[in-house]
Amino acid sequence: MSDEPVDVLIIGAGASGAAMAWSLAETRMRIVCLEQGGWMNPADYPSTRTGWEQERFQGAYSLSPNGRGRREDYPINDSDSPIKISNFNAVGGSTILYAAHFPRLHPSDFRVKSLDGVADDWPIDYATLEPFYDLNARMMGVAGLAGDPAYPPKELPLPPVPLGKLGETLGRGFNRLGWHWWPSDSAIATEEYQGRAACINLGPCLTGCAQGAKGSTDVTYWPVAIREGVELRTHCRVREITVDDHGMASGAIYVDAEGNEHHQRAEMVIVACNGVGTPRLLLNSRSKLFPDGLANSSGLVGRNLMFHPYAMVTGLFDEPLEGYKGPTGCSIISQEFYETDRDRGFVRGYSAEMVRGMGPVSTALWGMSSNQLPWGQGHHAAYDALWDRTAGMVLICEDLPEPENRVTLDPDLVDSDGIPAPKIEYRLSENSLKMLDHAVARGSEALEAAGARQTWPEAPLPPAGWHLMGTSRMGTDPGKSVVNSVGRAHDVKNLFVVDGSVFVTSGGVNPTNTLQAISLYVADHIKRNLETLFD
Amino acid sequence: MSENPLPEPIFSALLDVLIPVRSPSLPGAGSLGLAAYVEPRLGVGVSGVSSGLAALAARANESHGTDFSALAEQAQVELVKQVGAEHPGFVESLLFHLYTGYYEHPRVVEALGLESRPPFPKGYPLEAGDLGLLDSVRARTGLFREV
Repeated sequence: MSDEPVDVLIIGAGASGAAMAWSLAETRMRIVCLEQGGWMNPADYPSTRTGWEQERFQGAYSLSPNGRGRREDYPINDSDSPIKISNFNAVGGSTILYAAHFPRLHPSDFRVKSLDGVADDWPIDYATLEPFYDLNARMMGVAGLAGDPAYPPKELPLPPVPLGKLGETLGRGFNRLGWHWWPSDSAIATEEYQGRAACINLGPCLTGCAQGAKGSTDVTYWPVAIREGVELRTHCRVREITVDDHGMASGAIYVDAEGNEHHQRAEMVIVACNGVGTPRLLLNSRSKLFPDGLANSSGLVGRNLMFHPYAMVTGLFDEPLEGYKGPTGCSIISQEFYETDRDRGFVRGYSAEMVRGMGPVSTALWGMSSNQLPWGQGHHAAYDALWDRTAGMVLICEDLPEPENRVTLDPDLVDSDGIPAPKIEYRLSENSLKMLDHAVARGSEALEAAGARQTWPEAPLPPAGWHLMGTSRMGTDPGKSVVNSVGRAHDVKNLFVVDGSVFVTSGGVNPTNTLQAISLYVADHIKRNLETLFD
Repeated sequence: MSENPLPEPIFSALLDVLIPVRSPSLPGAGSLGLAAYVEPRLGVGVSGVSSGLAALAARANESHGTDFSALAEQAQVELVKQVGAEHPGFVESLLFHLYTGYYEHPRVVEALGLESRPPFPKGYPLEAGDLGLLDSVRARTGLFREV
């Protein structure tokens, strides 16, 4: 590989890095992307073999990077957080393991301070991102049903994922309560789409899609970007971003698969490493000019970490629901409690997303952990009462930014290349705790209205730290934000950040669609302003 | 040669107690051969299980003058409860791997009414469902704030 200077260096080949690479490719600039993981082979995904269920809980496809044992991952000290980090490092990043649930933020999410008096407004609004949401829908192949009254009209290129018996059952429950529900927007090819095969309802989307129907960016943006001339280097882990004497980013030092160190020089550096990886990299990029880390004059790199505190309610029904069929995380969504109602005792709100049921092994393990499945003589009767009769609901609560919730560098922990690893400090706010209580109560009510004879809540859900936001926030004031309204670092004119770390607030929905729309929006700005970009 | 830490037939007899016969055609977990699945996955937990099995064997001999595996089912259950209470984690450390192995075993999967196969490449048919259920939702307004 050549380390000759390039025009654009993108760090991270996940959701936002892929969108950026594809969008900039048309400029014919020399673009290199460095990714610490490799290409995944869908033929190796667990759903291709017996034993597929257990691989979600342990081994190379489990959610926590600390338990996977893959060289491509870096360790994360999340012992000071009730919510643990879930991510993945590969071409496609965490979209390899995500559920592909693909909602947009609401227009109100960009005006939290103005509307509700908390947190901050974004320097951009829904209308700014709308064309990029539409573009992203076409590129990722988003399935959904037009006419959702919880949103302005939106483009959805593919028909919705099937409701199945489970979705219909829960939909009827919401109707009995008069609450909103709608088929989930899903980055899943429900028909053949741009070379991707149609979804065949395998079920275990969270361990990779062997069918290639799920919109992970290794099968959406990347093949096109590479055809257009972008160079993607895998198994290349960036140690730090370098700067020149004028305080401009000059490239990045990275370690290749053989452990050799390189310096890739570039005219422009774009960071797309997610809400934990990006502050880790910026904090590791210390120099004489930036002794506290790159782009950190505000002291806000790593601060205002937001997850979505999750609750989960599982309901037990009398009738089989065929819940083991179909996309795990994509069925129906309710946004009845999304917008602020101060009578509830908290501000902001949450989405309720139905998850499909469990396979045989998951049923047994859930039965064991919830004390519903004894060993011995009562085992089979208890199991039969659970098998194919459960439906789950996850409740995704908006997390408000708080400076004390943060990513720092762990003083001791390093990755396999000796690079300091991140440490998470996080606590749930009073607002989040009240919202979780409300969400559990309403979630249980919805499941009971659908016919559940028993419900089991869990809140917060410990392994649900898969939405990583806020740690390099966007804003107009350099003292109160890390990047400006087009993702450019206030402190470094040729450094951009385009992942979830630029989020000002979190909304109450999965963030991938929005962070990709932001990446496309920033790319559009770059393309339109190449001659004056660094002024 | 070192002694097997989880000797037979007592280990399989224990697994038969934990997941007993389901039907005339589906024996308990031990008789299905789950010992070979569970043992290599126990890791460091194998020593606790080994100690528990030794205690189980000794208690069977003291109480009944015979091997645990030769006892009637109810007597076995009682002994497992006793030893489990005295050796915390003895039974619990087995259950994750036992349940995992048992519920992916082809005969068990078929007994649940499923084909014994991975999801890919065949997949599953799934009904689109009745989108007419959304008519009342579609008519609603004011679900998002205009800004």
